[in-house]
Amino acid sequence: MDPEIKILKSINPAEVVLVCGLPGMAYVGKIPVDYIIQQLKAELIGEVYSKHFPPYVIINKDGLVELLRNEIHCLEGDSGRFIVFLSGNAQAFSPEGQYEMVEKVLDWAIEKKVKRVISIAALVTDRPFESPSVYCSTTSVSLLEEAKKLGVQPLDQGIIGGENGLIIGLARKKNVEGICLLTETHGYQTPTGEYVMDPRTAPATLNILTKLLNLKVDMEPMEKRITQMDEAFAKMAEFDRRVREEIQQTSKKPSYVT
Amino acid sequence: MESKQNTWIRRNERVEIAEPVAIVGSPGLRSIGKLVIESIIAETGARLIAELFSTHLPSVYETSPSYASNPLYPGFAGAIIKSAEVDLPKIQFYACFKPELILVAGYHPNFEGQYEVAEKVVDFLSENHVKRMIVAAGYGSNTKSVVCAANNPKIINEMKEKFSVETGYEGPFMGFSGLVFGLAHRKKIDALCLFASTTPTENDLELPDKEASDRILENLRKMVKLNHYE
Repeated sequence: MDPEIKILKSINPAEVVLVCGLPGMAYVGKIPVDYIIQQLKAELIGEVYSKHFPPYVIINKDGLVELLRNEIHCLEGDSGRFIVFLSGNAQAFSPEGQYEMVEKVLDWAIEKKVKRVISIAALVTDRPFESPSVYCSTTSVSLLEEAKKLGVQPLDQGIIGGENGLIIGLARKKNVEGICLLTETHGYQTPTGEYVMDPRTAPATLNILTKLLNLKVDMEPMEKRITQMDEAFAKMAEFDRRVREEIQQTSKKPSYVT
Repeated sequence: MESKQNTWIRRNERVEIAEPVAIVGSPGLRSIGKLVIESIIAETGARLIAELFSTHLPSVYETSPSYASNPLYPGFAGAIIKSAEVDLPKIQFYACFKPELILVAGYHPNFEGQYEVAEKVVDFLSENHVKRMIVAAGYGSNTKSVVCAANNPKIINEMKEKFSVETGYEGPFMGFSGLVFGLAHRKKIDALCLFASTTPTENDLELPDKEASDRILENLRKMVKLNHYE
């Protein structure tokens, strides 16, 4: 099962903007992207499966089993302009798998005439703040200027780990314009060092993201959703913690002889 | 031996069963799935029809329990000696004609090979006309119950209405059986999992819990007539 895009509905756009919000540090990318998908009722058009996802399945509250997967939702705008959202419940585990996954999705998006890639990631900081600032890294000066006008600050240096960062790096290599929005978070680490979700970053991210996408999203339900997401993501983080705990229960055994 | 492939199946016997139900178990939590499969093989006299080998099946695990695979600890390849005979780690497929069953005695691959091995198993079951799969496993709880999960809400309803088996486990399902269960829908196989509650034992999570596996067998007997075999 190499990365495989299962297309549920084919689209024929004149132009695509790809928005990537995969689960990563503090779920800073996933939360706003899932929120737009839900609020604007973006249509599920594809699912991405891979052997590079961590090897477990999830039993949900209804007793149904789910493979780890990424999902592709889309919103159709005017003149054949589509906004395509990449989200899901996992990232590939290894660097090799992350490259394969991102390449697969980007190549599909290029076939669909992608003009711009926007990804969202976390900027973990110790800096005290009342509301988080949003930074960015772009593949072009013109896009940087566009972002600056919206109040986004350029990130001078740093590393954007995981697929939300890799997608911008690979977009540049494939001559696709890209921007990664980096929203500040304190990361909310547990005493054992696990990062948990930070839904309170979402309004700041959404403020910039909706302007870049020229979308209007009702922000009122956000506070309620933050509470709901706190609960839902606490559950996801708990699943994650249990899997990691079991994985970490490793004990070296003799390398040979029974 | 097709040693150029990482994962391969050697058939002992080609059988034609119209629409067998697959029952899958592996040495997971308290070895419940493994015990269930061993009991059914003994009870039905099912015949060994095929064996799956893989470079991803370690003979020595570096992780404990074996189902909690870790990319940093792939384990060690090697031979397994049983009754003075040399063999390799393997997954075994048994067939029974009445009732029509294919039994899968699982073995946990290392982290790298989990999806590959599980896919190969699901492909084999599909090629052998399996349309329905029942996975036996355990979950940690202080109750004495059997709960279900499925890849289709119709199966959940059927379990509730016909067999009074409710859902009740929510969370991750790791290891061989979990992935086989999750991948079944890709081959249009309806999959049900029966989880027996068990008490995780601190020093050895795979310590067999016969009482819990008997609870699954009791439910399975209502679903497939295990005592009417030939």
